[in-house]
Amino acid sequence: MTIDRRKLIVLGTAGAAAALHPPFLRAAAAQSGSSVSGGELPAREASWYKKLDEGRVECELCPQGCKVADMERGMCGNRENRGGTYYTLVHSLACSIHTDPVEKKPLFHVLPGEKAFSFATAGCNVECKFCQNWEISQFRPEQVQAYNLPPDKLVAAALRNGARLTAATYGEPVVFWEYVRDVAIAANAAGVKPTVVTNGFIQEKPLREVLPLLSAIKVDLKSFRDEFYQQQVRGKLEPVLKSLQVIKEIGVWLEVVVLLVPTLNDSAAEVSDLCAWVRAKLGPDVPVHFTRFHPTYRLTDLPPTPVQSLERAWKIGHDAGLNYVYLGNVPGHPGENTTCPGCGGILIRRVGFQVLSNRLVNGSCPDCHRSIPGVWS
Amino acid sequence: MRKLTRRELALMLGAGALTGTAHGRLWGRSVQPGVVGLAEARAVLGTPLGPETARLAMAGALAASVGAESGASAAATLFSPKDVVGIKVNCLAGRVLSPRVELVEALVDLIAEAGVDRGRIIVFERSNRELQRAGFTIRESGPSYLCVGINNDYDREPSTSGAIGSCFARMVSTTCSALVSFGVVKDHDLAGVSAGMKNWYGVIHNPNKYHQNGCDPYITDVARHPYIRNKLRLTILDGVNAQCHGGPAFRQGGIFELGMVAASTDPVAADLWAWREIESERAKRGLPTLEAAGRPVRFLATAAKQGLGVDNPEKLLLVSA
Repeated sequence: MTIDRRKLIVLGTAGAAAALHPPFLRAAAAQSGSSVSGGELPAREASWYKKLDEGRVECELCPQGCKVADMERGMCGNRENRGGTYYTLVHSLACSIHTDPVEKKPLFHVLPGEKAFSFATAGCNVECKFCQNWEISQFRPEQVQAYNLPPDKLVAAALRNGARLTAATYGEPVVFWEYVRDVAIAANAAGVKPTVVTNGFIQEKPLREVLPLLSAIKVDLKSFRDEFYQQQVRGKLEPVLKSLQVIKEIGVWLEVVVLLVPTLNDSAAEVSDLCAWVRAKLGPDVPVHFTRFHPTYRLTDLPPTPVQSLERAWKIGHDAGLNYVYLGNVPGHPGENTTCPGCGGILIRRVGFQVLSNRLVNGSCPDCHRSIPGVWS
Repeated sequence: MRKLTRRELALMLGAGALTGTAHGRLWGRSVQPGVVGLAEARAVLGTPLGPETARLAMAGALAASVGAESGASAAATLFSPKDVVGIKVNCLAGRVLSPRVELVEALVDLIAEAGVDRGRIIVFERSNRELQRAGFTIRESGPSYLCVGINNDYDREPSTSGAIGSCFARMVSTTCSALVSFGVVKDHDLAGVSAGMKNWYGVIHNPNKYHQNGCDPYITDVARHPYIRNKLRLTILDGVNAQCHGGPAFRQGGIFELGMVAASTDPVAADLWAWREIESERAKRGLPTLEAAGRPVRFLATAAKQGLGVDNPEKLLLVSA
């Protein structure tokens, strides 16, 4: 038998989940009619769009604002106009499911060491040339193996797997925002904390409607230059900055990740501008993670980010007055640890996605008693 | 734009009269830049052409496109018995506005008569479902010809062409050595026109990513990828019934009886012809031009700049069967 890489990845995540939690996958398959692939996709009317003339629609979910003719799809590839009504084709159609440590998201100030039941559907509203998950994010739902996993069953699976969190992640949750919303409602009802890992490229209305349901959100700020967004991401910077400010205003726990790509967004000037903006607009207590790029997808002609670049960004962040600056994709680096801004002591020691020790006491430093912001219980 | 008969074109080609201006080579193969062969074929929307009418129209347009004596001899100049010929049909709009099965089968017959084994001729679209909706019968084997969907069989890695980065269907990257775009003549709400070139969006895994800016330069970037550029032999447009407004899906109010089948070795010229016919019908109906309607046809100029064909209306040669 031969399979391609995309199938291997999907099977790999499913296989890993099966190995760890065989009851879940068997149960999910039995309860849901097993996998969905190739045939007619289940469709549910989208929540954020308006009807235009002549059977066209305008999507009001993300800033792409796609105007979509009958029988066509938006840029995300998973929303389709059928006779003047716009449908999401991925509600409850998870193509990747896995139980991860919450540190993998990364969310470093949210229930350290706990499991996050993570899920994704096909599709994305941008096209990052360095996408790490392009095998699902850059494909349409009929092109990937997927499981019918309604919100209540997803949350039940999370509980069976000992996960205290759900995480909409891997692909881009904005493009399955209705599913995110409904999973969050089910999760909250069951005492599970719903989280989202997103590019933040979303219109304000749908963001405001779903944010109050979430316990935490991680936003990828891919650069602090609009040119980078246009050329490498096919998005725009300004709407992402707006989203970050809305999240801060609503008060949902927020962490920011910046993937540093050598020569494209890792200059000291850009990192400095970014950190100054975070400090001024979001405050000093929002964690900022600088993570290491590895060549992939359409950006294979650049080397991995030098550790020196990451360490320079780390220093710039601290110098800008940010209290929680982390480094990612460099397992074992001290930049993975949480230190107390008050006394400098190490509070949470990590290696990769593993928490080695957690000295927080009721969310505070045990030495100087400074309160450390986050979701600790 | 000039109008010629097939015989006049043949005489001009024989005399070398078009050398340097129209007749030439593109991407290493013989083409007739700017030449579009046309044949009449009339039928009421939703009713089939008779097999004989379909055969006459297809053979006539094909012969006219290269100045050959017959459809089969025209096919013989374009295809080798060693070829595996892929015919990409555009079935997005369902049965009433997809390439007519009888025209596609007439083309298959002509290619077979040129010496290509029928088992090496593949009619394909994105999925079996779309083919079936358009009236095609799935044939994974058998003596007549093959008819199958791509069905998610794409290259494992994306490849880049200009602004696009896509996994191409293995049907075009690997299986086929010669390609035909078999489209329809219709309006497109973003690109302006969806005929032969836009049809190639159906061989990449992520066409939804490339609809901004009137699909420009993306249509060109797909068409100039070596998988297409080096294998494309022919563009056929089913213009028996066309649509001047409301595309790319079928909309009854936009349909008109154009009554033509077009064939061209120049993909840009074929789409230029389609564009002109759509604009002409829109003018008759008092509709604004595509540009005034907010969907200018930008991609043809880009394609011409990339050397894919002729977008200058003055160099368009319409050759009747």
